[in-house]
Amino acid sequence: MKFSWSRIATIARREFLTTVRRKAFILTLVGTPAYFAFVMWISSAGEMKERSEVLKELSSVGVVDSSGLFRDAQSEFRTEVNNESGGMFGKKVPEGLIPATVFRTQIRRFAGFASGDSALRAREISQLVVVSADYLESGRVRRYARTSSLFSSADQRAVASWLANGLVRGRVDSTLAARVARPAEKEQLFTIGKDGQFELKDDRRQMMDFMVPFMFAMLLGVSIVLGGQYLLQGVAEEKESRILESLLCTVSPEELMFGKLFGLGAAGLLVVAIWASVGALAVGPILLLAGVKLPTGLIGIALCYFLLGYLFYGSIMTGIGAMAGTMREAQQFSVWFTFLNFAPFIMITFLLGRPNAPLAVGLSMFPPTAPGAMMLRLTAPSSSVPVWQVALSLAILGTAAWLVLKMSARIFRIGLLLYGKTPNLPEILRWARQG
Amino acid sequence: MLEVREVLKSYDGRAVVNRVTFEVTPGEIFALLGPNGAGKTTLIRMITDILRPDSGTILLDGRAITDRARNEIAYLPEERGLYRRQKAVETLAYYGELKGMPARQARDHAMALLERVELRDWAFKPVQAFSKGMQQKVQLCTALIGDPKLLILDEPFTGLDPLNVQMFEELLGERRAAGATVLLSTHQMNKVEQLCDRALMINHGHMVLYGAVKDIRRRYSDHAVVLSTTSRLGPVPGVKSTVTGSNGDVTLLLESNATPQAVLRELLDRGVEVESYSLASLPLEDIFVKVVREGLGLDQGQSAAAEPEPALAGGGVR
Repeated sequence: MKFSWSRIATIARREFLTTVRRKAFILTLVGTPAYFAFVMWISSAGEMKERSEVLKELSSVGVVDSSGLFRDAQSEFRTEVNNESGGMFGKKVPEGLIPATVFRTQIRRFAGFASGDSALRAREISQLVVVSADYLESGRVRRYARTSSLFSSADQRAVASWLANGLVRGRVDSTLAARVARPAEKEQLFTIGKDGQFELKDDRRQMMDFMVPFMFAMLLGVSIVLGGQYLLQGVAEEKESRILESLLCTVSPEELMFGKLFGLGAAGLLVVAIWASVGALAVGPILLLAGVKLPTGLIGIALCYFLLGYLFYGSIMTGIGAMAGTMREAQQFSVWFTFLNFAPFIMITFLLGRPNAPLAVGLSMFPPTAPGAMMLRLTAPSSSVPVWQVALSLAILGTAAWLVLKMSARIFRIGLLLYGKTPNLPEILRWARQG
Repeated sequence: MLEVREVLKSYDGRAVVNRVTFEVTPGEIFALLGPNGAGKTTLIRMITDILRPDSGTILLDGRAITDRARNEIAYLPEERGLYRRQKAVETLAYYGELKGMPARQARDHAMALLERVELRDWAFKPVQAFSKGMQQKVQLCTALIGDPKLLILDEPFTGLDPLNVQMFEELLGERRAAGATVLLSTHQMNKVEQLCDRALMINHGHMVLYGAVKDIRRRYSDHAVVLSTTSRLGPVPGVKSTVTGSNGDVTLLLESNATPQAVLRELLDRGVEVESYSLASLPLEDIFVKVVREGLGLDQGQSAAAEPEPALAGGGVR
């Protein structure tokens, strides 16, 4: 291959500028993080709202006490919801500054199930709790409700707390009774961190432990796919609109391919840089506050995975763009490779829970899934990935990227001028071999 | 200028271009003719170095088509497109830069070309806002930018209105006057007769006609002469029959053993007033049809009844 680097630079510059000037680019730049933020806000706020709704609904509970154990139990109980711990990325507020919301629940006693059932159906009570005669031995309690929430069990916890309190009420003092009802109210969990020291795992930290790897790997995956999609669109559009033949009189197919790879890779990198910078400014202080420690050199490793991953996927997308007759056809082919790139996210709980399991290691060595899987493993809270595994994964990905690049260049050269006929697999393989 | 020698290109063992040899001299407008599937596009792709021939040589100014020579060739393919969202001036400047022009110079040249094709006011508008004719003008400009030495135009007149056809012809004339050589591939035979000095016709990869357009037409005349006269014609020795045209000219179909010179002598001897007397020649279009139907190549290879040319098969791209 003989290149004119000035022509490659001209092509790269045009590809970069035309891409970043498009409205679709701005929309992706702003819209993608906005979409993720919106989804997270909706799920976080939704969970809080659901809990409040469930407790608000639980204004009156009917009790049929066949055991007689709860004769002296409270006729009203209170449930407090702490408003401070709701937002995942919300500002840390000193405890007690925002008053907790208190929900009151009245207890109505019924002699038998029939009267309680009637009251429930007549909406006089929210739920009916039937305590069996042998409750002390069996623990059997039946709870009847008109509906139940899919996403919150706050009502179950509130009723359990009332039962616990009722069991010991009158036998111990009120403070002890309250503690028995909520024995682990202020529990703090400490786990051994990557530096060997115990670190606090509160709700916020637990959420961070999931979100940080997720966001890191997702950022990498989206940026790789984004660059690849730009390439796919660029090549398929040029082929479909018959621009290529006049261009190929002036530039070689290799110059065209490399110009596109560099220019559109730079556009993808720009997106990552902006997202990462804005993300660091917005979330960085919260990560520091939450005591999240990311592995040393993570940004450098992520950059390596982006470059090699982009080269790998970008080359495949370029080849597909050159083979396909239309944009639609190109997208139909490419969707499988995009799916592979995001495959580690399907196994995110496994990868974060057991980051050093053989399957997790295997996924981080397999080129199509390596960037996402390794990023999840590296940022997983309980992981410590050996350096040799990172080096081997990058070496395999780099070798695969180089081979795919070579094959794609051959396919690209032939596919560019093939109109009206989509090649079959044996033809593609022949092109990849011979070029 | 351009020398094509014994060029052969085969796909799956079938010659699509079969040992074609011709040359185009500097400053001439040369026609490349042939029916659909004849191998013209493959031949052009080899000249533009998009495809590599299996054998034979293609030289531009005595040198192989290298990276540097590529800047001196421009190609306007039959199926052509533009970056629809890009401004006209940016598109042209991009092509100019790819041909090695500095950015500023490419932009200036792009503006000059747009002015020449009366699109200066549209220079900063995206191509998708242009009419089809305007887009074709921009497409021609993509080939003209950088002042290429060899301009290869494939069906450049398709879809143009008469005014734009005239403008294209003027532009070709200007390029020719500036020393450029034009290789024109078209099915519009009237344009070949009007514009081209010489022509090559290929059919299924074989050369079937090659030479000056006038010579080709003469060679394929039906052994007839055209006479313009006010006299009444009686029987003339050596003349088989006569046909009077709508303009009053009479076509004399000659006996096989008669010569135009002998018949002219007979006419003058008989007192016929001869205003003009010339060899009759067939329109190029009729010659095209006749040659394609006869199907025999100049290389004596059978050029007829072959399969259509594939869009492109595997292997051999640059």
